[in-house]
Amino acid sequence: MSRNWARLPERGSPLALWLIRAIALHGGRPVGRALLYPITLYFLATAGAARRNSQRFLRRALGREPGWREVFRHIHCFAATILDRVYFLTGRLDDFQIEIRGGQAILDQVASGRGCILLGSHLGSFEALRGIGSTVRHLPIKILMNVEHNHAVTRLFAALNPALAQAVIAIGRPETLLEVQDSVARGFMVGALGDRVAQDEKTVRCRFFGQETAFPIGPILLAGLMGCPVILCFGLYRGGNRYDVHFEVLAERIALEPRRRQEQLGVWVQRYADRLEYYARLAPYNWFNFYDYWAEDSA
Amino acid sequence: MEPLSPFELEVARLLVETLHLEDVKPEEIAPEEPLFGEGLGLDSIDALELALAISKTYGFQLRSDDKENRRVFASLRALSQHIEQRRTR
Repeated sequence: MSRNWARLPERGSPLALWLIRAIALHGGRPVGRALLYPITLYFLATAGAARRNSQRFLRRALGREPGWREVFRHIHCFAATILDRVYFLTGRLDDFQIEIRGGQAILDQVASGRGCILLGSHLGSFEALRGIGSTVRHLPIKILMNVEHNHAVTRLFAALNPALAQAVIAIGRPETLLEVQDSVARGFMVGALGDRVAQDEKTVRCRFFGQETAFPIGPILLAGLMGCPVILCFGLYRGGNRYDVHFEVLAERIALEPRRRQEQLGVWVQRYADRLEYYARLAPYNWFNFYDYWAEDSA
Repeated sequence: MEPLSPFELEVARLLVETLHLEDVKPEEIAPEEPLFGEGLGLDSIDALELALAISKTYGFQLRSDDKENRRVFASLRALSQHIEQRRTR
């Protein structure tokens, strides 16, 4: 399997997703959570590539050979956050314990009235902070999303919260980043995930868990061009009904000089990769990139 | 190949310079060829950089909600025409 995750089919048919939604909303979270066990077992049995890549990641993160229980826990953790997405996106947060660390960075940013880039990842649940931010705190958040890649998921979540679906900026059009620029200029915080490389996207090699791999330069370059701050965010699932949401200012401003641009971008993207590794070690089962992240198959 | 008009050549130079297209000569850009995807192969970041350079040089903003965007970015010729219509300097 190649590094190109976009070619992987999105798992889960529209019917299955509809079922998850119906159970989550009408059966309640305990019913949904009970069903996570058979669903996880089914994935463990049928999704060979995801299982292998889970093992690869856990081997690096735990520093030893992972057992099947740990792989089960990894996939279960992923399934649990998908279930909870339904609650986050519909603003049903009463039953959750959500710790926010470094929230002052966000409050200061909103108070300043200036826009910024909220740089997240596929570690944990970006939806946790998007849900809280938009539905509870009414923060001006938009999110860059690969709408083409997961049509079924997009439609499902759009149906759950049409207002939130309005706050999506679709990736892959020439005018995508002009839209981001407009939004940031109007004081929006624009969320982007910085750990997956889209096809033909410009990248830089960074050390990550002891080995180099490609990271996209897009989000950092974007902040540099717009002269806006970059705030990191990680919504980590801690089991049960607990989530920890972390915010950190990565940069107040990304200074770029024409001749040194690639080098300067490389420094910032490496800092992002370092923080991502730090949080991924803190919560290894939250690593939701179930593909060949270090391109080991083609090595 | 059809030659570029003087203004198209000016925009082509801005494009090559802004986007550091090292192996592209401004005078060799085909005026009707798409700038994005096929053709020159520019991406969304290039569009933003180009928009910033255009705003600096010609004094107007390319807006994302502009319904004409698709047409504006369709080719060097379309882009040049759009700039000529909207420029304030």
